Amino acid sequence: MDKLLELGYDISRLWSAYSSTYFNGIKNTLILAVVATVIGCLIGLVCGILNTIPYSKTDSPVKRFFLKLIRVIVRVYVEVFRGTPMVLQAVFIYYGLPYFTDGQIAFSGYSGMWAASILVVSINTGAYMAESVRGGIISIDPGQTEGAKAIGMTHVQTMLHVILPQALRNIMPQIGNNFIINIKDTSVMFIIGFIEFFAAHRMIVGINNLYFPSAVIEMVGYLTLTLAASFLLRLLEKLMDGSSSYELVQVDSLTMAAGTYSHPHRGTPFDEVSGEKRERLRQKLRFGRTRGER
Amino acid sequence: MAETILQVKHLSKSFGTNVVLRDIDFTVTKGDVISIIGASGSGKSTLLRCINLLETPTSGEILYHGTNVADRKVSAAQYRSHVGMVFQSFNLFNNMTVLENCMVGQVQVLKKKKEEAKEAAMYYLQKVGMAPYINAKPRQISGGQKQRVAIARALAMEPEVLLFDEPTSALDPEMVGEVLNVMQTLAQEGMTMLVVTHEMAFARDVSNRVVYMNQGVICEDGSPEQIFTEPRRQETRDFLARFRNT
Repeated sequence: MDKLLELGYDISRLWSAYSSTYFNGIKNTLILAVVATVIGCLIGLVCGILNTIPYSKTDSPVKRFFLKLIRVIVRVYVEVFRGTPMVLQAVFIYYGLPYFTDGQIAFSGYSGMWAASILVVSINTGAYMAESVRGGIISIDPGQTEGAKAIGMTHVQTMLHVILPQALRNIMPQIGNNFIINIKDTSVMFIIGFIEFFAAHRMIVGINNLYFPSAVIEMVGYLTLTLAASFLLRLLEKLMDGSSSYELVQVDSLTMAAGTYSHPHRGTPFDEVSGEKRERLRQKLRFGRTRGER
Repeated sequence: MAETILQVKHLSKSFGTNVVLRDIDFTVTKGDVISIIGASGSGKSTLLRCINLLETPTSGEILYHGTNVADRKVSAAQYRSHVGMVFQSFNLFNNMTVLENCMVGQVQVLKKKKEEAKEAAMYYLQKVGMAPYINAKPRQISGGQKQRVAIARALAMEPEVLLFDEPTSALDPEMVGEVLNVMQTLAQEGMTMLVVTHEMAFARDVSNRVVYMNQGVICEDGSPEQIFTEPRRQETRDFLARFRNT
C-alpha cells in the first residue's frame, strides 16, 4: 500500500513538472503515426493496384514485360522493407544519404528528422499495406469484375467504381492494425533523435531516474491512444457500411398496394359490400350469430 | 429477312487440353429469342461467355454486324456495352444501391448525364417491378429481386442483344416465376435474347428457336415445336425424355 502511495506521489510529481513534455511527445507521435499511415496506405494502394493488373497470353510482349517488371519491383520492395527492422531502416536512410552524397544532401536539423521519420515509417507501412491491398483486391468475388465487364466497363473503371471501394472496406481492419502499430512503433525513431512520446520518457528519466513512475505514465498514455484509435476506426467502418435498413420508395399508389394484399378471396374491411351482407355482419358481431340461424 | 446481329463462325474453346466448344456455327438475327438447352458441361455457358468475350475463344470468329470482335484490335469493353449479360449469380455491385447499380454503366460507359441515367434506370427498374427498392443494397433483397435488378441493369445499357446465363438456376423455386415473367415480357417486346436455361417450359413457350448442345457441339437447332415434339437426333430425344420423367 505504501508503495502504491509512493508511486502516486511520484507520478503526480512527474506530471506536474513534465506534462508539457509528455504532451509534446504524444502530439509528435500522433502526427507521425497519422501522416505515415496515410502516406503508407497510398503507397500500398498504388503497389497493390499495380500488382493486380491482369495480363493474358494474348497481350503484347511489351505490356507483359512491363507488368512482370512492376510485379518484381513491388515484390522486392515488400520483401526488403518487411524483412528488416524499422530501427535499422531509420539508421540506414538517415546516415546513408549523407554518406553517399558526401554530406551534400542530408536530413539535417529538425525538419530533416521529421522528413526521415515520416519517410521510414511510411515506406514501412506501405510494404505491409501493399500485400493487404493485393489481398483485398483478389478477395473480391470475380463475379463483380465480370458484372462490370459485362456492361462494358474498362479495367480502370471496374477498379475505381466496383473493386476498390469493396476492397478498401475489407482492408479497413488492416489499416487500423497498421495505424495502431505505427502509434507504438514510431517510438523506435528516437534512434535518429525524433522526440515522440517514448523519447520524452527517456529524456525525463535521464534527469530524475524515476524510471517506473514514468513508465506507468507511458503505458497509460499509449493504451489511451490505441484504444481511442481503435474506437474511431470501428466508427469509421460502421459509417462505411452505411445503414442496415433501407426505405421503400413509393413510386405510385398502386405499387405499394400490389403485393401487400395476399389473400384476395378473404376480402378486406374496406370492400364494397351489399346492405344485406353488412347487416349480417352487424348481427354476427352483436349477437354472435345471424338472425337466420335462430 | 431480319437483320443479322451476331454470327459465330467455327468457334472453338479449350481450357488446356479440355475441349469445351468444337467448331460452333450459329447466327442470331434481330428479334430472336433463342433458348440454349443441354446437360451440364455441354458448353452452353461457355458459348455465352465466349460471345460476350468473358472467355477468349481459342479459334474462330464472332461477327457483330460483320466486325470480328474476337480480334484483339476491337475494344472488348465497347462491344460488351452493346451486348448485355445476366448471370446466374446476379453479380450486382455490392457497394452500390439498386439505383446506382443501374446507373454506373450509363454514366461511366455511355457517358450519360446523371439525371438522364437516373431517368433511364428508373424506367427499367419500374419495368422489372423493382422501383420501390432503389435505395436497397444488393445484400438486402432476395434472389429473385436481385436478378430482376440485374436485368434492369443490363437493359439500362440499351443493348442490342441480351444474354442470360442460367438466370433462374440460383433461385428458390418460388422466385423463378417473377424472373421468367420479366423475361417473357421482354421477349414479347421484341428484345433479342439468348437464354441458357434449364426451364424447358420457357424454352418451349417463349423462345422462337431452341438450340440443343451436347459435348461442345450444337446437336440440334430448330423451332421449339420441332425440338420438343419431333427431335431429329437421338441425343436430343434422350435429353428431353429425362425432363419429362421428372
